[in-house]
Amino acid sequence: MSVADIEAASTATSRAQKLSIRGLNKSFGAVHVVKDLSIDVEPGEFLVLLGPSGCGKTTGLRMIAGLEVADSGQIVLGDSDVTSVLPKYRDVAMVFQSYALYPHKTVADNIGFPLKVRGLPIEQRAAAVREAAAQVHMDDYLDRYPRQLSGGQRQRVALARAIVRRPSVFLMDEPLSNLDAKLRGYMRAELKHMQHELGVTTVYVTHDQVEAMTLAHRVAIMDEGVLQQIGTPRDVYDRPANLFVAGFMGSPSMNFIRGSVENGRFESHGVSLPLVDAAPGGDVVMGFRPEDAQVVDPGAGLFDAKVFTAELTGDVTLVTVALGDTSLAVKMPKEYEVDYDSAVAVTLPLPQAFLFDARSGQRLPARFAEVAR
Amino acid sequence: MTTQDSVVGVSQSGSRSPTAIAVELPPRGGFAEWFDNQSRQFFIMPAVIMILVFSIFPLIASLILSLSRVRLRAGGYNVRFVGLRNFERQIFGSEQFHFLGTFTSISPLGWLFAIAVAALLIWWLVRCFRGSVSLLGFIGRLITAGMIFGLSLMFAATLLSGNQFGTLGVTLFYVLVGCAVQFLIGLGLAVICAQPIWGRTFFRVVFFLPMMITPIGIGFGFRMMADTTKGPFSPVWQWFGLRDFAWAADPWAARTFIVIGDSWQWIPFIFVVLLAALENVPRDMVEAGHVDGASGWQIFREITWPSIAPVAATVILIRAIEAFKLVDLPNIMTSGGPGISTESMTLHAFFAWRAPDLAQSAAVSYLLLFVAVVLCVSFFNLVVLKRRAAIA
Amino acid sequence: MTFGDPTQRARGSSGIGRFFEAPQIGRMSPASRLIVYSLLLFWSAFVLFPLYWIVITSVKLPIDVNDGPAYLPFIDFAPNMHAWRDLLVLDLAETVKPYRNSVIIALFATIACMLIGSMAAYALARIEYKPKFGTILLFVVAMVGASVSVGIWGVDWRLAAASAGAIFVLLARALGRRFKRSVGNGDILFWMISQRILPPVVTVVPVYMMFQSVRLLDTHFALIVTYTVVNLPIVVWLMYDFFSGIPKDLEESAQLDGASRLTVFYEIVLPLARTGLAATTLLVLIFSWNEYVVALFLSTTNAQTMPILVAAMNGGEKGVLWWKMCVVIIIMIIPVVLMALVLQRFISKGILLGAVKG
Repeated sequence: MSVADIEAASTATSRAQKLSIRGLNKSFGAVHVVKDLSIDVEPGEFLVLLGPSGCGKTTGLRMIAGLEVADSGQIVLGDSDVTSVLPKYRDVAMVFQSYALYPHKTVADNIGFPLKVRGLPIEQRAAAVREAAAQVHMDDYLDRYPRQLSGGQRQRVALARAIVRRPSVFLMDEPLSNLDAKLRGYMRAELKHMQHELGVTTVYVTHDQVEAMTLAHRVAIMDEGVLQQIGTPRDVYDRPANLFVAGFMGSPSMNFIRGSVENGRFESHGVSLPLVDAAPGGDVVMGFRPEDAQVVDPGAGLFDAKVFTAELTGDVTLVTVALGDTSLAVKMPKEYEVDYDSAVAVTLPLPQAFLFDARSGQRLPARFAEVAR
Repeated sequence: MTTQDSVVGVSQSGSRSPTAIAVELPPRGGFAEWFDNQSRQFFIMPAVIMILVFSIFPLIASLILSLSRVRLRAGGYNVRFVGLRNFERQIFGSEQFHFLGTFTSISPLGWLFAIAVAALLIWWLVRCFRGSVSLLGFIGRLITAGMIFGLSLMFAATLLSGNQFGTLGVTLFYVLVGCAVQFLIGLGLAVICAQPIWGRTFFRVVFFLPMMITPIGIGFGFRMMADTTKGPFSPVWQWFGLRDFAWAADPWAARTFIVIGDSWQWIPFIFVVLLAALENVPRDMVEAGHVDGASGWQIFREITWPSIAPVAATVILIRAIEAFKLVDLPNIMTSGGPGISTESMTLHAFFAWRAPDLAQSAAVSYLLLFVAVVLCVSFFNLVVLKRRAAIA
Repeated sequence: MTFGDPTQRARGSSGIGRFFEAPQIGRMSPASRLIVYSLLLFWSAFVLFPLYWIVITSVKLPIDVNDGPAYLPFIDFAPNMHAWRDLLVLDLAETVKPYRNSVIIALFATIACMLIGSMAAYALARIEYKPKFGTILLFVVAMVGASVSVGIWGVDWRLAAASAGAIFVLLARALGRRFKRSVGNGDILFWMISQRILPPVVTVVPVYMMFQSVRLLDTHFALIVTYTVVNLPIVVWLMYDFFSGIPKDLEESAQLDGASRLTVFYEIVLPLARTGLAATTLLVLIFSWNEYVVALFLSTTNAQTMPILVAAMNGGEKGVLWWKMCVVIIIMIIPVVLMALVLQRFISKGILLGAVKG
C-alpha cells in the first residue's frame, strides 16, 4: 500500500494531522535509548513501531506523548512544534498497556474525564460519553467500576476514553498484550476497523509481529534505539533490510545458514549453491522462510539434513531439521509425517532466498540462481 | 466520519448520527500554560519555604545564640559573640556536673568498660576498613565510633565509678532503656495479637488507647499512680513496708517510673506497626515452615523475624527520635528531681530558657541535636538500611 | 503457631502432653492459650487501670482523693459531679476557650500540614528535582549572614532579609554554574524527614523571638504555623510511600487526557491515597492536639490550648486539683478516641506502609 492509498483511505476526518519526528535522541543516564529517530507519519496513517522489549519504541512513543522530554530532536504535529510542550496542550490520546483506568471512577466518569478537565458542559459530556461507549459496545456498563470489568472490557473503556475527544493523534502502547489470544485477535480487528473509520493518525507500539503485520499501514522496526526499516508490512516481510528485520518478522522466524561466497557460489557445511550476480567474496548468511521450503527425500533436495522434530500445529506440520549445528524450520502440509532422526533433504525456490552480509547484517543485492532439480 | 455497517461496532450506533463534539484544545501560550509549566515548583515550594523559615532559620539563629552571651535589657536583648565558651562551660566548665555528670576519678570497672568498648570499636573499624566501605562511609563510621566511645567514657566516669550522671546520661537512659523495653513488650503483644485469638479487635483498640492521650495527662496520671500514700497502689507499698518510701527522692526509682510512663504511652505505637507488619508476612511461608516441621520458635526466628526486621528497625528509629525529645513526663512527674537525676536534655534546655539564660539553653539544645543526629543517622545507615537491603 | 515447648510436644498425645500440644497446625495448645490470655488480660489491665483511675478521680470529692485510695464508686466513696459541674457549668467559659483554641489550632494545623506535606511528598515521588549544590550553599550563607547581622550587630531584620535575598538572587546564577553538582529527590526527602530529629527546644526560642518581632505571639496563627512545620516531616515521610505506590500510568494517562498537574493531584492521586491520608491525618491530629512544649512557649492567655489547661490545674499552693484535671483529660480524650475508632481500620495499614519503605 502506498502513501497515496493511505491518504485515500482516510480522508475522513479533517482533524487527522501529520506527525513528524526528526532526529529524536533520548538517554537515561549512560544508556542511549533512542538514537536519532526520524519518522514521518502521514495524516490518518496507522504506523506500528515494532521491536523487541527494550528497543526504545515505548520511549519514542512517550516522547511523542510528552511524557518524556527529548534530549535533542524535534516533534512536529500538524504545523506546530510540540517538542517541549506539556501533554495537555498536544492533542494526543494514549492507550496504555495497563489501560490506566482510574479505579475510583465509574466507566462513564473514566470515559468522560478528558472532557471534564476541558470544562465541557455536563449534558454534552454525557452525550459524548454515551456515543463513545456505544462505539466500543460498553454502553451497558457505564455505572460499573473498572474492577468489576473483565480484561477485554477494560480495554474497550480505555479505547473509548481515547476516542471520546477526537484527538489528532492516537498513541497506543501494546494495548492488546494483556488479553488472551482469542480476544486479542478479535480486538485487533475492531481496532483496525475503528482506526479506519475515525481516520485518526495512529502510532502503535508492539513487540508482536503478527499485530504489526495485520494492523499497520506501515511498520517501523526498531532495535537498540535505532530505526532498522520502515515500510508497508509486505515490503518489510518480502524485502527485509537486514538480518535483524528478517529474523524478527515471521513466525517461526527466518532460517539462517552461515557460510561464505567463493567463486560465485554460496558455500557452507554441506551446502553449495550458485549465485546469479557476482557477489564479492566473504562471510555471508543465507536466509529463507520456513513456508518457502519443503522437506523431500534424501538426495532430492538442495542439501541433505536430518529430522530433529516434527510438530503438528494444526494447520501445518512444522518440521525442524538439523544441518550440522544449524537447525532449520520447514512448514509442511498437516498430513506430512516423518520419523525423528531420519535422513531427508530440503529444497526451496532459490530466488526467494536472501543473502546477508555476515558482518554488517545488511541484505546483499546478490541473488541465488535457479537450480534445475 | 465514515460509517460502515459491516462491523458490529457501528451497527449498534449506526442508526444514531454521530455527534461532532468540539473539544477545543486549551489555549496555548497563556497564563494557564505558564502556570502548568511552573507547577513543579509550586508543589514543593510551600513545604521548602516553611521548613526554611520555621526550622532552618531558627536553627541558625539558635546556633548564633549558643555562640553568644545574651543579656536581657529593657525591651530587647543584647547579644555578644563569645565563641565556643557556652559549650566549653557545658563540657568542661561550671555546668559540667549538670550536663555530663560529676567526675571524680574513673574506677577500675569504668576503665575496664571503656577499654572494652574502645577495643570493640577499633575491631569494628578495622573490619570496615578492610571491607569494601567507601571513604565517605568510613568517615561516617569514624564519627559514629568517636561518639560511642565518648559516651561510654562518660558512662564509665559516672555510673560505673559511683558518680551521678548529668542530663546527657539521663537522656540516653530514656532512649536506650525506653526503646528496648518498649520494643520488646510491643513485639510480644503484637506476636500474641497476630494469633487467632478471641476478641482481637477489643484488645487492639484497648492497646491503642494510650497513644491518644496527651503526654502531660499521662504525666499527671502516673504521678497519681506512683503516690505511695494516696495512690491506688499504696496498700501494696504498705505491704512491702515502703509506706514512707518517697520514690521521687530516689534517682533510679524516679527514672524507672518515667520510663514506665513513657512506655505506657508509646508501646501502642510500636504494637500497631509491628502487628501490621506481622500480618503482612506471607502466609504460605509460615505454612511451608509448619509442613517442614519447624517449631513455633523456629518459625518466628527463621521466617517471621527476617521479614519484619526492616519495619522493626524503622520503628525503633522513630521511637528513638521521639525519645531524645522527651520532656513532658519528667517535667510533670518529678520536675527533673531529685536534684537533676531525671532531667532530660530538653528539660535542661527548657529550665535554662526559664532561668533565663538563652545562650546556655541554645548550647544545650545544640549538644542534644548533635548527639541525636549522630546516633540516629548512624542507626539509620548501619541498621535500618542494612535490614531493608537484606529483604529487598 | 504454638507456644508449647517442642520437647513437651514430642511426649505423645496422652495426659500432660496433650495440654502442651496444639490440636492442629495454626491452633494453640491449651497451655499456650492460658498463657496468652493471661498476658492479654494483664496488659489490658495495665492500660486501662490508669484510665479508670482518671475517670473515677474526676467524680471524687477532694476529700476522697486526699484521704488515700478509694477504688470503687458507690462502695468506697460516693461519686460526685462537682468537678464536672465546676468546669462545664460554673466556669464553662474558662473551659470552652482553650477547647475552642485547641480545636481551631489542631484542625487548621492538620489541614495545612496535610495539604502542604502531601503536595511536597507527591512532588518528590513524581517530579525530578535537581537543585544545584552551589545554590544551596549560597542560600545557607546568605541566611547565616542575615541572622548574624540581625542578632549580633542589631541590623533591622527587614533590611537584613531584603539584602540577603538580593545578594542570593544576584549570585545564584554565577555560583550555580561553578558548583555543578546537584542533589536529588532522595536527598531532599531525607532533608525534610530529618527535620523531625530537631528537638523543638532548639528552634522554639528563635521562633518565639520571630513571632514576638511581628507581634503574633499568643495567636492561633503562631501555633498553627509551628505545628504545621513540626509535623511536616511525618506527612512527607508517610505520604511519599503512598504516592510512590500509585501506578504512574494513571497519572500519565490523566495528563494526556488534558489534566494539569494540580488536577491530576486532586482528581486522581488524592482519592487513590485515601487510606494513607486517613492514617496520616489521624496521627498529625493526635500530635497537634496533644502538644505541650511549643504551646507553653508560644501562648500565654489568648491562644492557650487544652494541654496548658491540664497543667494549669497544678494550682500552686493549693496543690494539684486532681478532680478537675481528670475532667479536662477526659474531655480531651473523647474526640480523639471517637476519630480513632472511625479510622481504626486505616491507621495500622497507613503507618505500616510508611514504616516498611520509609
